[in-house]
Amino acid sequence: MAAGGSTAHRTYSFKVVLLGEGCVGKTSLVLRYCENKFNDKHITTLQASFLTKKLNITGKRVNLAIWDTAGQERFHALGPIYYRDSNGAILVYDITDEDSFQKVKNWVKELRKMLGNEICLCIVGNKIDLEKERHVSVEEAEAYAESVGAKHYHTSAKLNKGIEELFLDLCKRMMETAQVEERSKGNGTSHASTGRRGVQIIDDEPQAAAAAGGCCSSG
Amino acid sequence: MSQRSERRGIHVDQSELLCKKGCGYYGNAAWQGLCSKCWREEYQRARQKQIQEDWELAEKLQREEDAAYASSHGSQSQPSLTAFSKFEEKKTNEKTRKVTTVKKFFSPSSRSTTKKEKERDEEREKERERERGEKVQGRRESHGETLLRDLKGIFTHSWEIGSPTEESHEAKSHSPSFVHQSSVETDQVSREFVDFLKSLKPGREIHKQSRAFVESMGNKKDLGADELSECVQDFYQNMSDRLLTHFKGSSEKVERVMDQVEKYIMTRLYKSVFCPETTDDEKKDLTTQHRIRALHWVTIQMLCVPVDEEIPEAADSVVKAITDIIEMDSKRVPRDKLACITSCSKHIFNAIKVTKKEPASADDFLPTLIYIVLKANPPRLQSNIQYITRFCNPSRLMSGEDGYYFTNLCCAVAFIEKLDAHSLNLSVEDFERHMCGGGGGDVSPRRRSESLSPWPLELLSALQERQQQVLEEARDLQAELQRWQEGVAREVQDILDKYPLEIKRHAAHAIDSENDENDRLPPPLQPQVFAG
Repeated sequence: MAAGGSTAHRTYSFKVVLLGEGCVGKTSLVLRYCENKFNDKHITTLQASFLTKKLNITGKRVNLAIWDTAGQERFHALGPIYYRDSNGAILVYDITDEDSFQKVKNWVKELRKMLGNEICLCIVGNKIDLEKERHVSVEEAEAYAESVGAKHYHTSAKLNKGIEELFLDLCKRMMETAQVEERSKGNGTSHASTGRRGVQIIDDEPQAAAAAGGCCSSG
Repeated sequence: MSQRSERRGIHVDQSELLCKKGCGYYGNAAWQGLCSKCWREEYQRARQKQIQEDWELAEKLQREEDAAYASSHGSQSQPSLTAFSKFEEKKTNEKTRKVTTVKKFFSPSSRSTTKKEKERDEEREKERERERGEKVQGRRESHGETLLRDLKGIFTHSWEIGSPTEESHEAKSHSPSFVHQSSVETDQVSREFVDFLKSLKPGREIHKQSRAFVESMGNKKDLGADELSECVQDFYQNMSDRLLTHFKGSSEKVERVMDQVEKYIMTRLYKSVFCPETTDDEKKDLTTQHRIRALHWVTIQMLCVPVDEEIPEAADSVVKAITDIIEMDSKRVPRDKLACITSCSKHIFNAIKVTKKEPASADDFLPTLIYIVLKANPPRLQSNIQYITRFCNPSRLMSGEDGYYFTNLCCAVAFIEKLDAHSLNLSVEDFERHMCGGGGGDVSPRRRSESLSPWPLELLSALQERQQQVLEEARDLQAELQRWQEGVAREVQDILDKYPLEIKRHAAHAIDSENDENDRLPPPLQPQVFAG
C-alpha cells in the first residue's frame, strides 16, 4: 500500500498494525503517541483502535494509519485479516510478563510467513518504568529481534519514553522499503501494482520465509 | 311487486346494446359502449394526442440536457480539450437521433412502413436504449415502462389494451442481452453525476468514459465475479491514473471525483454484480444467517463485551448500531455500505465509552462488534462483504478509517463462523447443549432470558399471566355464546309449541289484496253494452 511516488510532493501512506497480548499497553502506547496523554480523563478521542498521524520527515509528508488489533487469545486466528497489506507492525510485550514476549515470537513467525520481508517489524518492550519487576531480559529480547530482522525498542507509555523515537524510526524504515520497492519495479508500474494489491492478495499464499535480513536488518 | 322491478332491471332497450356512435353495430361495455371498429378509432385518436404530448416533453427534456452540457462545456473551452470536439459531434448526432427515434417510435405510421425500415428503426431504438443503459425487456410493455418513467409517468396504461400483437411479437425478436437496473434512484444518481462533473474541467471525458464502461460491462455479464471485480478495479485504477497525470488533479480532488465515479458506476451495475449467480454468495449468506440464529443464546458476559446495557445511553447506542448494520444492505454504492459500517462502529464506541469512561481499544471494540452482528443478524451479510471487497475503491478500503471498520467486520464474521466452546470460555458439553437448543448447565434460565430479550423476567411472567387471563375469558365467552344459542332455540321451540302452525285456507286471494293503495284505484271497468 505504499502509495509513495518518487516525486517530492507525493504523500506516503503507511498502514501499521499494533499486535500484542491484552494488557501489554498497546492502547496506552498509541494514545500517548497521538494524543500525548496517559490514563487521562480528558482524552478527546472516542476510540483508540484506529488513529492517524501526519508526519513530515525530511521534507516528505507521511500519513500514518495505526490499526489496533484485539489482543485476546481467542482472536488470534483473525490476525491475518488485520495485518494484510500493512507496511509495518509494532509487536508489543510487557517486560514484566514472560508470556507476552512468547506471544510476540509467535506473531513474528506468522508475519514473516505471510508477508515476507516487505513488512518492517518493531518489537517493543513496554512498561520500562517497572524495571524492578522485569522478567524478560534485555539481552534476550534484543538478540531475538536481531535474529528475525526486527528492531527492538524500550518504551514507557506512562513516562512517555522511547515512543516518539519508535514511530519516527519505523516511518523512516518504511519509506526506505517503499523507495526500494519503487526502484525495483520502475516508476510507472509500481503505483498501479501497489494500488491493486490490497484487493488482489490472498492470505493463504505463503511467501517462503526468506532468510532474515533484507531491508529491515539495518539495526 | 318485486317481480315487476326485477323485470325492469333485466330489461335492456335494443338501442342501448348498439354502438354509441350509432354505426349500427353492437357495442361492448369493455370498449365504453362502442363497437370494435369505433373503439379502435377512438383509441387511436387518444393515443395520437398522447404521443404528441409525450414527444413534446421528450424534446423539452432533451433541450434541458443539451443546455446543461453546453453550460459545462462553455466554461471549459480549453485547447487541451480538442479531443472532445469529436466526441461533442458524436454526442449531438446521438442526440438528434435520439429525438427522431422517440418520434418514430411513437408514430403509428411506423407500422405502415416497410419491414426493412422498421428493422432499422428498431436497431436505432435498441442502440438508444443501450446507450442510456435502460431496462429493455423487448416487449412492447417494457418500452412503455421505460418511457413511462422517462416522461415522468404521463403515459396512461390504457393504450396498451389495443396494441397490435404482431408488433409486440416482432419486438421480442431482438431483445438485448443485458437487462439493466433502472429506477428513479439510478436516474437521480446520473443527474447528480452530471451536475457534479459540470464544475470540472475533464468532466465530459469522465462522463464519457464512465458511461462507456457501464455499457461495456453489459456485454460481460457472463464473466465470473472475480473477473467483473478485476474490470471495475482496472477501471478505477486507469481513471485515477489519468486524472492524476493528464489533468493534474491533486490527490484529494481525484479522490472526490473517484467517489462520484464509483457511485455512478456501481448504482448502475448493482443489480447485475451484487450476489451474482456465478458465485455461491447466496449460499454463504444462508449459512451465516443460520449460524447466527443458532447462536442466539450467546450473552454479553460470554463474549466479555464491555457494554452495560442497563445504562440507557449505552442501550440506545447498541440499538442504533444494530440499525446501522442492518441498513447496510439497502445501500447500493460500496462507499455507502462502508459508511453504514462506520456509523455502526461509532455507536459501538459510544456505548463502550459510556460504560467504561475511557476510549475504546480494539480489545473492547471487536467483541462488541461481534455481539452487535449476532444481535442484528444483518441480511445478506456475506454478499455485502464480498460486494464491498470486489467493487470498492481500494484506496478507501485498505487504508482509511472505513477500511479499518470493514476489516473488523470481516473479523467478526470470521469469528462467528469458527466460534466454538473455547472462544466463549465454555466447556465443550455446555456449548453442545446450547447449540442443540437445550438450556441448563451453569446458565440459569434468568440469564438465558436476558440473552433472548432485553425484557426483565418479571415483565414476561406478568404478560404470561395476562395471556392466561385473556384465554380464560375467551373460554367463558364461548360458553356463554353456547348457552345463548341454546336459550334462543328453546324459546323458539316454546313459541312454536304454544302457537302450533295451522294453515288457513284463503278464499280466492288476489295477488294485490294486501296493497292498501287499491282503495285509491278507480273501480274496475264494467262491461257495458251499447246499443247498436
